[in-house]
This record gives sequence, structure tokens and C-alpha cells, in this order.
Amino acid sequence: MSCSGERHCITCSDEGVPMRVVDIHAPGLALCATEEGVKSEVMTDLLGLVEPGSMLLVHAGTALQLIESPRGRSALDRAAR
Amino acid sequence: MRFVDEYRDAELGRALAAEIVATVDPGRHYKLMEVCGGHTHTIYKYGVDDLLPDNVELVHGPGCPVCVIPMGRVDDGIAVAHEEGVIFSCFGDMMRVPGSRGTLLEAKAAGADVRMVYSPLDALRIARENPASQVVFFAVGFETTAPSTALTLMRAKAEGVANFSCFCNHVTIVPPLRALLESPDLRLDGFIGPGHVSTVVGARPFEFIPGDYRKPIVISGFEPLDVLQSVHMILRQLAEARCEVENQYKRVVPYEGNPHALQVLEEVFELRPHFEWRGLGFISHSGLKLSGAYADFDAELRFPVPGIRVADPKACQCGEVLKGVIRPWECKVFGTACTPERPIGTCMVSSEGACAAYYNFGRFTREKAVV
Amino acid sequence: MTGGEARTLELIERVRSKPLRFRDERVTMAHGAGGKATQSLVEGLLAPAFGMTELADAAVLEGLALTTDSFVVKPIRFPGGSIGELAVNGTVNDLAVAGARPLALTLSLVLEEGLAADELRAEVAAIARAADAADVRVVAGDTKVVERGRCDSMYICTTGLGRVDPRARLSPAALRPGDRILVSGPIGEHGIAIMLARGQFELAAGIESDTRSLWSPVDALLEAAGPSMRCIRDATRGGLASVLNELARASGVAIVVRESKVPVHPTVLGACEILGIDPMYVASEGRLVAFVAPEAADEALAALAASPGCEGAAEIGVVKTDPAGLVLVETAFGGRRVMDMLVGDPLPRIC
Repeated sequence: MSCSGERHCITCSDEGVPMRVVDIHAPGLALCATEEGVKSEVMTDLLGLVEPGSMLLVHAGTALQLIESPRGRSALDRAAR
Repeated sequence: MRFVDEYRDAELGRALAAEIVATVDPGRHYKLMEVCGGHTHTIYKYGVDDLLPDNVELVHGPGCPVCVIPMGRVDDGIAVAHEEGVIFSCFGDMMRVPGSRGTLLEAKAAGADVRMVYSPLDALRIARENPASQVVFFAVGFETTAPSTALTLMRAKAEGVANFSCFCNHVTIVPPLRALLESPDLRLDGFIGPGHVSTVVGARPFEFIPGDYRKPIVISGFEPLDVLQSVHMILRQLAEARCEVENQYKRVVPYEGNPHALQVLEEVFELRPHFEWRGLGFISHSGLKLSGAYADFDAELRFPVPGIRVADPKACQCGEVLKGVIRPWECKVFGTACTPERPIGTCMVSSEGACAAYYNFGRFTREKAVV
Repeated sequence: MTGGEARTLELIERVRSKPLRFRDERVTMAHGAGGKATQSLVEGLLAPAFGMTELADAAVLEGLALTTDSFVVKPIRFPGGSIGELAVNGTVNDLAVAGARPLALTLSLVLEEGLAADELRAEVAAIARAADAADVRVVAGDTKVVERGRCDSMYICTTGLGRVDPRARLSPAALRPGDRILVSGPIGEHGIAIMLARGQFELAAGIESDTRSLWSPVDALLEAAGPSMRCIRDATRGGLASVLNELARASGVAIVVRESKVPVHPTVLGACEILGIDPMYVASEGRLVAFVAPEAADEALAALAASPGCEGAAEIGVVKTDPAGLVLVETAFGGRRVMDMLVGDPLPRIC
């Protein structure tokens, strides 16, 4: 029996979900929410310090990139300096 | 509101589709491969290829880390799941991959404690909540997912969660691409590059594709417009006789990736000398196992694992589908002996596999959308 | 499309159109999901064993409709309802969509040893309230107790009895090309509410079950467009996709769904994305899907939308001739895809 059209494992298909940081639970652990309000706990160790309001790319429970900081500048802008 | 966005996208999509028609040489047939399961999903979910001209064909590559797990490794996982006192956890898709004698889902029906999780952290939590059980996490995925497993193992080690272990089947993205490109019967003109693996490894590791093999690659986002735009960028490279790595997904993918993530992977994993990929055979330095520092958490060392290699069934033509040599319906067993409910090979196993995606989503008389 | 591709697709359709056989060695969770595996069990084992030829939501015998249902939802209480309400509404709805006014229910309770009396009282009260709201009486029942661990708090089994409404001429084989398809509100709320209530995925979102009785909207539809109504179904386990597939198969027609017209709450969409499930396959417990002849569809939709609880009603698609037996989705982006029958069990124990 295999996967069919009804299921799409975003982890297995390598997709990430943009999520906003709602609250910091502990060093490296933040409560994040998707645009539609679905919340889950995310490991943020790979991004150093994250601030509530930041938009992160999350995959399999881990934040892989900072998409947008609360003031609207992305990590990519900063890296370009 | 989502639906407003989708309408706007549809207009932009049609405009892009028109530009694509203007860019291609009508006398030439183009085969572009998208590697990432997520892209396959986008293409089928939105019907993106309905907007492409007939002479641009999208071929779905080996970017599904679940369906490339060989049957022998699934058998190994099932053997561990049946061990006394084990709670076996894995991602949803893994539950349905067939081994030589059934799937993890069937093992669950036969009494094994198999639980679906959405992240390795969930598995660690189960271990903390069940100190009397051995909790094993079946880790799959490319470098996108491996950091999550790594961070979880680092936490397990720091907290001394001794009843947690990992059965590691992580794979890396570059070796299978190289193996594909080395193949003499390969017929591809360009690649739609994986969007989220590159947030970890960056765009740099893909430079060998234009460098050594003279094929363009465009790293793409996951919205249907992203995919269409990436197709356009590849076709433009071909029209202008350019050959390079382009990044369509700049808003998320930095050229150098995430160095911290790469460090974490270095610490927790090491490369296996070789690893078998279903449909592609043995590829060297393409699979990860736990490093010496994390040997205590290695399920393969903690439990007896049969480790028997099971060959793909003879009728299976997945290797040819993966290289774009034949299309799903041209496989002799497509839709008859090999269906999503009873898959024979890797391309039918996961809904992102080329054959499953075509069978589930693409299989009907298609009227091309009017551009 | 090339000749080779067309031939392969034809072969596949021939294989798929054969009656399903039950060939599995063991019962798995997929057999309870409402998709292909369930169908293979019903068509391949149960129906032939009992000589059942037409399979519908309720059996009709001498003007009376009879149906049965069982409820094994876990947890028994969830945002928006509980197992008791589900049991009443689910049974009433099987009768309603068969065009029968619900009259009475029987209620069998299988209770787990150790269930707190307060919990039992709360469920019984919920059942009474739901029966009252649905204007139906509980007239007979049974109670059994099993040892701790042998059922999750309680299982409920029901039988529903109704009287077939003279205005109803409904059948799953009645769909014709040109018929228009209506849905009574946003889909997928019940299934997702249950999944989140289980708390195993550390996801949280304010989604509630949509469980409710559907007799009122069915009554409204029969009143507004009785002779033009072809078939009505409630979209429970297996979701909208399963209903559409069953009917496309039963009537030998194609169904085209316009994805952007299907009402789905953004939060349900968001949860579905993370859980990796297409909302079209997620169960509702208080939404109906109606197939109506084209000339009466506008009135039918107006009557439906005016029915309490159905303000979100929408027209979502149309019946066509080809490809027979298949359901296609037209995406807002301008492409199309097939929406096949459910294969696995993405959401176990939701009803």
C-alpha cells in the first residue's frame, strides 16, 4: 500500500513552511505559527537568536532560514553587506 | 485571502506561459527534470504542465528520499519495530513503503507499535514519556531534514535520553544527480533545482551540473508561479547558449546555504562508503550514518538488524523512468502489476514519485489550457 | 496524447472498473477509512455474502428507510462536540440524505470498565440534546461493558429508522451530464478538529467539528427542487473526494470540481498543509453534497444557503460525460488534475 493523492508528506517531499515566531520557549525552542494560525514548537538552534515576529522557513520541526526579521529585513539582505 | 492570490497568480501564470512559448524553438523537444518531490507536488496539484507548450516536457526525478529507500532497509526497520519493547516512529510516507514482506503499516496491524510523527522532536518526546520503552526513529530525508535529526540527537545526548535511538537513512542530494548525469542514456536539457535542500547546502554544490555536464539548473521556489518562472529561466539559458546555476528562490535560498546547519551535520553524521538507492543502484558517499560521537544512539548498533539486500523486482523499470528515458505509461507494468496500492518500484511508492504522480493526478485526456 | 498513452490509460480503466475483491491478509486501519480498502471489504466480502446489490446510505423497505452506524472516535470529546452528538447526527444524516425524514434511533453503548460516571452522564445528556435538536427519538438500546483498555472510553452503535419523503427521487446512479454540484458549507472541519484534539502533533489551531443534523437542509432542497434533485450525500470519512468518486463510479459519469469554489476555512487549509492531507479527503460531519439538474440549481442553492448552518453553501462543480468514472479538479491556476479515491487512512478513528 503506498501513498496516494490524498496524502502529501511535506517532510518527505522536502518542503518547508513559512512560520512566524510567536514566543520563545527556551534557548533554541520557539512556538511558531503559520499564516493560518496553526501553531507548533520549532527548533531554532540553526539561526541563533530569533525574535518574536520573525518569519522562519521550517521543515520537520526545525527552522532552516530566516525569511524576514520583525523589522522586515531578511537575513539575505544582511548577508549581502 | 488565498483565492484572490490564486486568481492573480493565474493571470501572471498565463503571461509567463506566453513568454515561454515565445522563448522555445518550436522544432525542438525540451526535457527538463525537477528533482524535488515538493516540485512534483506543485506541478500536479496546480496542473502547471497544462500551461506549458507540447514540446516542453517535465520529467520527475529521484527527489523523493522516501521512495529511494531499498526494500532491504525497510525490512530492517520492520525487524526493529517487532523487537520486544520497541516503539517505532517514522514519517507518514515511510509507513507505506513496501519491504519484501509488507510495509510498516502492515507490521502495525500485526502488532508492532509503529507511530507516525511529524518531526524527530515528536519521537524524542515519546521517548521521554515512555522511559520503559525503546523508542526508535526511522530517519529519512536529504540535507533538508538531516539537520532536524541532528539537533534532536544533540538534545537526546545532552539530556541523557538513553532509550532513544535513530535508524538513519538520510541521503545527500549531489551524488544521485551526478549518477544520473553520468548515465549514457540520459536525455535531459536542464534541471529545476531543489528549493529547500539548498537552504542548507546552498546553490554552490550544484555548480558541477553546468560545470562538468553543460546543463543549466535553476533553483526554484514551490509556488506554481515559481516553477513556471524557473522553467522560463532554463529555457532562456538554452536559447541564449548560457549554462549556469541560477537562483529563482533568492527570497529564501542564500548561495552559501546555512553554515551552522552544515556544521551540525558534520558533528552528528558521517558519510557511508556507499548506499543503495532503489532504482539507481549503489552510489558512493551518498548516505549518512551516525558519527562515532553518537554511536550510542545508533539503532543499527543497538538492535540486531538483518541487513539483507533485496533486489528490485525484475519487471521494474524505475531506473529508466528516473533518467527520463521512458515515461511512466511506457513502463510495462505501469497501472497493471504496479499501482499505487500495490507498487513494485520506487516511482510508484510515494505520491511524489513520477509514476504515482502521473497515475494519481495526471492520467486523463488533457485539454491544454488556452494561453 | 499519443496512441501508446491512450492505450495504457484504457487498460488501467478496464482494470479499475472491475468489481473490487477483498484480497488482504489482515484487516488494517485503511479498511476503516472510507476509501478503496473499505470499498474492497464491502464490495468484495460483505455485499456478496448478504446478497446486497445496491449500496446506499440507507436501505428502503416499504416506504421506510433503515440505516446503521458505529462510532469509534478518539478522543470522545473534541472541540465542537462529542461522540454522543456525532452518533445522533451521523445516523440522522444517513437517513436524511436518502430522502427519509428521521423518526427514531436505537442506541447501543459499549463502555470501558473504569469510565467515570460523570463522563457517561455528560455523553448521555449530549445524546438527548442532539436527538431533541434533530427531532428524533431514542427508542431502544443496549449496554455492554468491556475490560479496561478494550475500547477507548466508549463505542456507540446505532440504527436509524426514517420514513421516505414522497418528494425524494434520489439515487447514486441518477447523475446526468450537465447536473450541477452543491455543497452546504466549508469542508474538512471535523477531521482536522479531531486530529488536533489528539494533541500528538503539537499543533494548535481553533478548529471545531462541524457535526450537525442535515434533515433541515435536505427538507429545504426537496421543497425547492424535489423532482430535480438527483442525489444527496453527506461527506463523512473519506471527505468530499470519496463522495464524488463513489457517485462518478455509480452513475458512470465524470465529475469536474472547480477547486477555488470549494469552501474551506483558511485555518483548515493551513492545518491540512502541515499534516500533509488534501482537505478534499478530510471528513466533515454536518455537510452535504447535492447533485441537481441544471435548471433547478440556482433555486436549490438559494434554498440551501437560507437553511440555518448552511450560510457557506456554494456551487462547486459539474457533471460531464468523459472521462467516465473519474473526478477531475480544475485548479485556480488554470491546470487540471485527477482526484482519485482515497487509498490509505490519513485520519484514523475520527468518527
